[in-house]
Amino acid sequence: MRALGAVIVAVSIVASVGRAGAQAGDAQAGKAAYEKKCALCHGDKGDGKGPAADLVDPRPRDFTTGIYKIRTAASKTPTDRDLFDVITRGMPGTFMPPWDVLPERDRGNLVAYLKTFAPDKFKEAPKKQELPKEVAASPESIKRGKEMYEAIECNKCHGAEGRADGPSRAELKDEWGFPIRPANLTKRWNFRGGGGRAEIAMRLATGVLGTPMPSFVDSVEKPDDIWHLANYIASLGPEAPNYATLLSAQAVKGNIPDDPDAEFWKRQVPQNIPLAGQVTIDPRNFNPSIDMVALRAAWSDTEVAFHVTWDDPTQSAADAAKKAPPDAVSLQFPQKIAEGAERPYFLMGNEADAVYLLRWENGKGATEATANGPTKIAPLAGSEATGKAVYANGQYRLVLKRPLASKGPDRPRFQPAVFLPVAFQAWDGGAGETGTKMSLTSWYYLRLEEPQSNRRFVVPPVVAVLTLAAMLLVVRVANRRA
Amino acid sequence: MAAALLASVALVVQRPGPVNAQGGGTVEVTVTYNGAPVIEKLKVNKDTEKCGTEAAIEKVVVGGNKGLANVVASVPTAKGAPRMVKATVDQHGCKFVPHVTAMMPGELELKNSDDILHNIHTYSTANSSINKAQPKFKKVMMEKFEKPEIIKLTCDVHSWMLGWLAVLPTPFFAVTDAGGAAKIENVPAGKQTVEVWHETLGKQTKEVDVKAGQTVKVSFEMKK
Repeated sequence: MRALGAVIVAVSIVASVGRAGAQAGDAQAGKAAYEKKCALCHGDKGDGKGPAADLVDPRPRDFTTGIYKIRTAASKTPTDRDLFDVITRGMPGTFMPPWDVLPERDRGNLVAYLKTFAPDKFKEAPKKQELPKEVAASPESIKRGKEMYEAIECNKCHGAEGRADGPSRAELKDEWGFPIRPANLTKRWNFRGGGGRAEIAMRLATGVLGTPMPSFVDSVEKPDDIWHLANYIASLGPEAPNYATLLSAQAVKGNIPDDPDAEFWKRQVPQNIPLAGQVTIDPRNFNPSIDMVALRAAWSDTEVAFHVTWDDPTQSAADAAKKAPPDAVSLQFPQKIAEGAERPYFLMGNEADAVYLLRWENGKGATEATANGPTKIAPLAGSEATGKAVYANGQYRLVLKRPLASKGPDRPRFQPAVFLPVAFQAWDGGAGETGTKMSLTSWYYLRLEEPQSNRRFVVPPVVAVLTLAAMLLVVRVANRRA
Repeated sequence: MAAALLASVALVVQRPGPVNAQGGGTVEVTVTYNGAPVIEKLKVNKDTEKCGTEAAIEKVVVGGNKGLANVVASVPTAKGAPRMVKATVDQHGCKFVPHVTAMMPGELELKNSDDILHNIHTYSTANSSINKAQPKFKKVMMEKFEKPEIIKLTCDVHSWMLGWLAVLPTPFFAVTDAGGAAKIENVPAGKQTVEVWHETLGKQTKEVDVKAGQTVKVSFEMKK
């Protein structure tokens, strides 16, 4: 019993030492961890000019300025906890990964070391940013938040529906004069300081230092409006993208609607697919504009249709005079759908294996092509693909169709109940994306689901009724014998 | 715009001088510039009913006789009682009016008479920089600037908006008008250093001998 008590005491001492370590780190020990884990981007001197800095967009933080985006402080200086949390959680939507793999003590030491890069800024203890008492999310609160969103003109940067397509977007620069993008408020999982309601309320109160995002704590009509705004912003999109792993296309009898805003498409659950910048071939795309597409798909006896939704803050068509490229998206399939797991190279195929591209371009419409690599794209003559797109408030919705039967050997056959390899590529012309400067995915699998007959609704009840009858019969026979 | 600028400069000039004005003299400063005006034009894509369809960023404003406007003239080392007049910057027509404001350490009144969102974003080192939203319903905000320095004012919503705030250690200052003239009154008698500052053309200083009850003229020529 005494031994058990000693163990408990020992454990609690170790635990409290661990906590203290997280609070007051050792800068000297932090230096060692910094040089191993952080200096590659942030530089030996902490000036954000490490060897990899030029490949990283948004650029790594320059610690010598003491300017930190994510604070829970009313003053400019972040708290130790703020720095600790950024190290632990990383900066979603940027190259800064979460460092929760490091022991807590190392992260505490790193905090202490970071502060030594800007000792003047950390002389004064940070003042805590107080928030009004939390207001729970409710339809009334969200409604008030929307009113405030319009009154304080969040749309100027973040857009009317929050998709970062506001009119001031193109003018925004950070403290160092580099262009900076407003946050897409419908994608909370990319919020640098976290997408929870309390975190959103804190960002609204403190602003995001070093960026155009100002503090709104004294700039709403009533103090509670901070919470109403946070509730409204949280209502604009899901907390997580819940990316799909296997894609499916629904079987349809008769016509598949062409209109991207048709009820038919709204009823389908979107299958979200993450896109990454193309960084294998020059010119590379280190800060891609389009990071996700949402797919809905359907097929009938005669055609296959893909409904693709993606956010693009600027609607742009090709403009030869301005050398501006168009917005575009493409779906990629193997040209020949082989049995087994063999697929062409994911980046638009190679010399040996071609891919088939079902492509849509703003201003040009739908086309078909084959490719043996991203620089070897050959349009297919006699395209039967059709595309209809709408663009509104920073979002494209597109229906891209093709006959189900393949026309000649250059085009793949779409067969039901087969795992069909598919990949996606997207270009934001307004961001100068064209050619290899694109966002893309690796291969996914798409399955055209077989039509579901009514038998599944008929057979089980019939079986159930027959079973019941048989049981009753058995019971009756048994009773009679007795 | 020129009229508004003149009016605001006139306002500065008419302010009462320092309290211990006895035995002071007047310094009349003229600043000229040998180059062409620099006014950058930009097409406006929003709030055009308030901002107009074309914005002008007035970096170098040259008036008659090559007079250079928007120059802060001051006698930095002369001591005097603080001015009791409130300094004001108005965000009006998507411009900071006046373009250059001089004040002693203290509070600045920030007005938004545009009925649209502005955000006051300052660039400074001695004072903490500010980035605060000023939505349409927030007509007035007060901000403290406690340390002398020259601070850049910007608005991220309207990237062309540019203004300057000179927080000065002395009550003896004035901003040049459209003709490049500024009058500093009640400057303590004796040898004084007059400093002029322009946002793109830099700083110059000159020695003057201020005599009680008299006006001393000093002229500067800014060069490219």
